Amino acid sequence: MNGKSEAAMEAKKKVVVLGSGPIRIGQGIEFDYCSVHCVWALREAGYEAVIINNNPETVSTDFDTSDRLYFEPLTTEDVLNVLDREAPYHGVIVQFGGQTAINLAAPLTEMGVPILGSSSRSIDLAEDREQFEALLRELGIPKPEGRAVTNPEDAVVVANEIGYPCLVRPSYVLGGRAMEIVYAEEELRSYMRYAVDVSPKAPILVDRYIMGKEAEVDCISDGERCLLPGIMEHIERAGVHSGDSMAVYPPQTLKPETIAKMTDYATRLARAMRVIGLMNIQFVVEGDEPYIIEVNPRSSRTVPYLSKITGIPMVKVATRCILGQSLESQGYAGGLWPDQKNPAVKAPVFSFQKLVGVDIPLGPEMKSTGEILGQAEDYPRALFKALVASGLDMPLKGGLLATIADGDKAEALPLLKEFAALGFPLYATGGTFQFLRDEGVTAEQVNKISEGGPNLLDLIHGGQVGLLINTVSKDKRVEREGAQIRRASVERGVPCLTSLDTARALLLALRSHKEGGDMLRVRTVDEYLAGSIGPSAV
Amino acid sequence: MVIGSGPIVIGQAAEFDYAGAQACRALREEGVSVVLVNSNPATIMTDVEMADRVYIEPLTVPFLRTIIERERPDGLVPTLGGQTGLNLATELARAGVLEEFEVKLLGTPLETIAKAEDREQFRALMREIGEPVPDSHIIDTDEALEDLSRREGLPWPLIVRPAYTLGGSGGGIAHTPGELNEIGRRGMRLSPTHQVMVERCLVGWKEIEYEVMRDANDTCITICNMENFDPMGVHTGDSIVVAPSQTLSDKEYQMLRTASLKIIRALGIEGGCNVQLALDPKSLNYFIIEVNPRVSRSSALASKATGYPIARVAAKIAIGLHLDEIENKVTGKTLACFEPALDYCVVKIPRWPFDKFTSADRRITTQMKATGEVMALDRSFESALMKAVRCLEIGTLSLRYKGANLWTDMQIETLLTTPTDERLFAIAEAFRRGLMIEEVAQLTHVDPWFLVKVRTLVRMEAALRAAGSNLSASLLHAAKHLGYPDRTIADLAGRTEREIRDWRKALGIVPCYKMVDTCAAEFEAVTPYFYSCYDREDEH
Repeated sequence: MNGKSEAAMEAKKKVVVLGSGPIRIGQGIEFDYCSVHCVWALREAGYEAVIINNNPETVSTDFDTSDRLYFEPLTTEDVLNVLDREAPYHGVIVQFGGQTAINLAAPLTEMGVPILGSSSRSIDLAEDREQFEALLRELGIPKPEGRAVTNPEDAVVVANEIGYPCLVRPSYVLGGRAMEIVYAEEELRSYMRYAVDVSPKAPILVDRYIMGKEAEVDCISDGERCLLPGIMEHIERAGVHSGDSMAVYPPQTLKPETIAKMTDYATRLARAMRVIGLMNIQFVVEGDEPYIIEVNPRSSRTVPYLSKITGIPMVKVATRCILGQSLESQGYAGGLWPDQKNPAVKAPVFSFQKLVGVDIPLGPEMKSTGEILGQAEDYPRALFKALVASGLDMPLKGGLLATIADGDKAEALPLLKEFAALGFPLYATGGTFQFLRDEGVTAEQVNKISEGGPNLLDLIHGGQVGLLINTVSKDKRVEREGAQIRRASVERGVPCLTSLDTARALLLALRSHKEGGDMLRVRTVDEYLAGSIGPSAV
Repeated sequence: MVIGSGPIVIGQAAEFDYAGAQACRALREEGVSVVLVNSNPATIMTDVEMADRVYIEPLTVPFLRTIIERERPDGLVPTLGGQTGLNLATELARAGVLEEFEVKLLGTPLETIAKAEDREQFRALMREIGEPVPDSHIIDTDEALEDLSRREGLPWPLIVRPAYTLGGSGGGIAHTPGELNEIGRRGMRLSPTHQVMVERCLVGWKEIEYEVMRDANDTCITICNMENFDPMGVHTGDSIVVAPSQTLSDKEYQMLRTASLKIIRALGIEGGCNVQLALDPKSLNYFIIEVNPRVSRSSALASKATGYPIARVAAKIAIGLHLDEIENKVTGKTLACFEPALDYCVVKIPRWPFDKFTSADRRITTQMKATGEVMALDRSFESALMKAVRCLEIGTLSLRYKGANLWTDMQIETLLTTPTDERLFAIAEAFRRGLMIEEVAQLTHVDPWFLVKVRTLVRMEAALRAAGSNLSASLLHAAKHLGYPDRTIADLAGRTEREIRDWRKALGIVPCYKMVDTCAAEFEAVTPYFYSCYDREDEH
């Protein structure tokens, strides 16, 4: 291909792929992975692949990834200039370069540029709240109640209608930016006033907050059929951003009928939205009922994970769909792909040590910078590996310091009991200590910061604490201390869990470790795929 | 066996996927069977096509030991997986795992790595070869820290750097004994060796980097040098960086180049190496700041800036090839011992997460905070800078920054003296308000050469605003030449972007595209990449 035959080059169809720009919170390396695979799939299919990107750290901007690389900004003007030079071309692919590339679909379409795969209309349909809700109603697919509003008064009206707590966010979001859960009118008003720029052009979504399990699915559609390589179930409940929650494949607690519904919704939605290529759908499950909370007709953070776990080259299959090949002709019947034998757990990794002034609790705003994967023959061991890979020194040593908000105490009790049973000395402050004592759990009382020294900060800095569980209180005064405690844990390198769901997962992994067996068993990606973990060769 | 760098964290981003993927390919080209380990599956390097055996498993000594026991690799390349990969290789060697399973460390020897990374060994070597290093104190106990802080005649302010941490985690600049104690303690806590180095702070000096390579034959070459727009005091990962250097005299350039080559030779590095130097803007005095004996973020940038595939060549050197035996894949004609030449200007700007973390401390110091970066190439610094700003996706297409007009003069002064992500925009705003080059230089310590360029851009903005709807074709052409985007021109002229675009095209003002070919067009490149500019000639 090295320019040996100019004529042969000319005869080839040319496709331009838009990359994802610099790595930032919410748009990480996974989109570069997707862009590179798209380019490779194009070249393999006999197309000439041109890429536009400006991130010097990545494989997509390596000299031999594409046929031609343009180191240019990803703005309408810069992209159009490149397209002018590359004309004639078959079209532009925007669905692998994250929100950066997707955002260019509309202006490029307006300028008459052909977008390959899901059209700018499909993209708009997913992002325009009213159109999307009308479509869901038509299809009979449930979503949490809610509406888009353009001023604070309407927001309060909607919230009163659907009841608190509500999930509020701008309609066009990247990485859950400025998303919050509000519990009362005062909080909602303050959010509308300070947190966001709201205008008729940028409405705010107010939804009922469903405190259920979350799950997400990536699917590939050729316009007719829809293939679901796998479903990932989130370990933390709804309200934690999908990029910050741990997640497991295949789902561990979802019922078959819930999964069947999710598959059905995804399939019908992909067809109705005329999705061609990839789509990511986020669900919240209340009882056994899945509700759609978000749809993105583009590649997502989980695509490289599912590709490696299931062995389906998702970007390649999607790229071929975009080029007009049906799933069937590629050998895929559609529907949910059978579960693989070895479970896999994805866990987030944060960079809090570098960022002074950032509070760490998990919430609807994404905070992690990276993720890792742990795979093993059973779920607890996969969890164990994921926790190790994310930086925990498993099994943890030292004491467990618990500062639990009142609303979470009852739920925390059995977990704390089990940590104690596993040999963790418990430390707790006033309220939590009292509660544990009343329930017959032995713990050592430590002073809160406001109660004078020596207090729990001394305990953390003294190295006696190996694990901190701190759930966020709604009491602002208590919270000020909470933030200080969490910061101390970051500085001292002590893991701090802010969700009881993470604590529960940790217990599962620790229990598995305690039961013994080979926690260090390793396999190659291919061996996990082959499904037979077999006896250890070592 | 190749160890990857694990999850993306600040200080260790996608560059090691790029380096690792390139290295795996380079090794397999030579018939080497590659076992790859990385816990991060969102990477190209963990694709099953990239290596013979791919493990997505935790990056800890016990897990790596199990993999080594299972795979029995002949060798391990430690310098491709960032600080994580390097630390793990060192730990595996210390734990006796490499010896037990007869795994040979390839490329740069471990003693060399220790010599480059351990402050004391490094300083001793520098003194031995007569390269200047600032006076410094290695501190590893609270008592020693307190003793030091009480000492008379210290050259305040002092800079504190913890040993062996990612992106200089936990470091800082101390102006008082109290700050020294505070930052020093935090640094020791974060350092795996519980060590911090305290030394004279060279704030205001120019920060220059050289990317150099060496093979076992002792052949050494310079890939490129880079100059930080932000002077010393800002982590290079948080600095705006220009390649090649723009403000050095030939004498200074050669002096620092010679020093860098001398260092890579003295260390005996086999592969790539990054040398960071501080240069006094008022004399020929310089100090060696730091050496990274491995593929790094800077080397990824240097690779992309020059078209010279550093990781690929480093991998080949690790298995014993020499620079004059390795083909440069970009030109397909030159060998890897041919030093790249640039006929354009490269600007890198970091991408910080402060748009998401609005409560975070935005000051940029010796501890890196950026999550990513962008790179732009153009014929001039001005247009490359404008392009890089557009790449950032931070809501502005030019040096006009949201809210900048509301800053008080006092705020601007603070923004100029205390570096944050907003400093570039504060410099532009200062010029808008009529500050002189000398005033801004005094507050920022940024070299006047750069400041003049920023002022040129601000003056163009003023000219466009003054012209308004009377925008002439020649002014439009001049604005495009400086890198002004259609949208900004349209805003200032009270037109639509489409109108400007159509008019511009009708006037024949369209970009041409130049090729990055490592050799300033001396040879023809076969796998080209391009950048736009408003020059005359197109390169196909």
